[in-house]
Amino acid sequence: MAIVVNLDVVMAKRKMSLNELSDKVGLTLSNISILKTGKAKAIRFSTLETICNVLECQPGDILEYVNDEQ
Amino acid sequence: MTYQTLILTIMSKTNNYVFWGLYVVAWIIFVGLSIEAGALIVNFFFSVYKPEFVQNLYQKLDLTEIYKESRLAFFGIYSFILTISLLKACLFYIVIRLMHTMDLSKPFNTFVAKQISQISYYTLSIGLLSYIARQLVKNLMHYGFNTDNLNQFWVDSQAFILMGAVIYIIATIFKKGVDIQNENDLTV
Repeated sequence: MAIVVNLDVVMAKRKMSLNELSDKVGLTLSNISILKTGKAKAIRFSTLETICNVLECQPGDILEYVNDEQ
Repeated sequence: MTYQTLILTIMSKTNNYVFWGLYVVAWIIFVGLSIEAGALIVNFFFSVYKPEFVQNLYQKLDLTEIYKESRLAFFGIYSFILTISLLKACLFYIVIRLMHTMDLSKPFNTFVAKQISQISYYTLSIGLLSYIARQLVKNLMHYGFNTDNLNQFWVDSQAFILMGAVIYIIATIFKKGVDIQNENDLTV
């Protein structure tokens, strides 16, 4: 997929585990895992807002566009 | 409990009872169709090797006159009869398997979509084969064959074709539902 999710990078910078993030964001561990591993097909704005709030970052820190040809 | 919640609870329980009632009915029909298919297979072998015992068998389907006049017509008609009865038994087997494994709380999955598609293919096949058999047997009547006792096997051909078409449409819509469900499952 052309949209790459760099959630693990931001989590490492904030020294936050997956369990802690899922508790604070209010998503299940499996949903966070789906997002982290790049299997998600879509993300709600409300979820993105909560993640950015918890990780104190911008959406661009988590989501990156990579052209498929690259 | 509010009035709306109460109505929804009653409807949900009624749907469950209806579902399980239909499951039991499907099992009964499947057993009946399996017995019929088995009896027709036995009838076939007795018609070929021991025609004098046919009168004592299930359905008493006696095609020995047709067998004497034309073996091609006999085998042709019997192959249609057997194929249609076996397809009907297979159809209800798929229905039972679907009802047994389907989870009503999460019905939109690939397995259920595939089963519904298979049901539509089987139903259409039964309808088309029955229609073709009925037309062929009508032609045989012009050649002097007595085929009055065969009408019972393909009297419902048009109903099966209609049902197959409707189920095919439902299967197509269901597949779209599965795609939407999968996308929803991967939306966080």
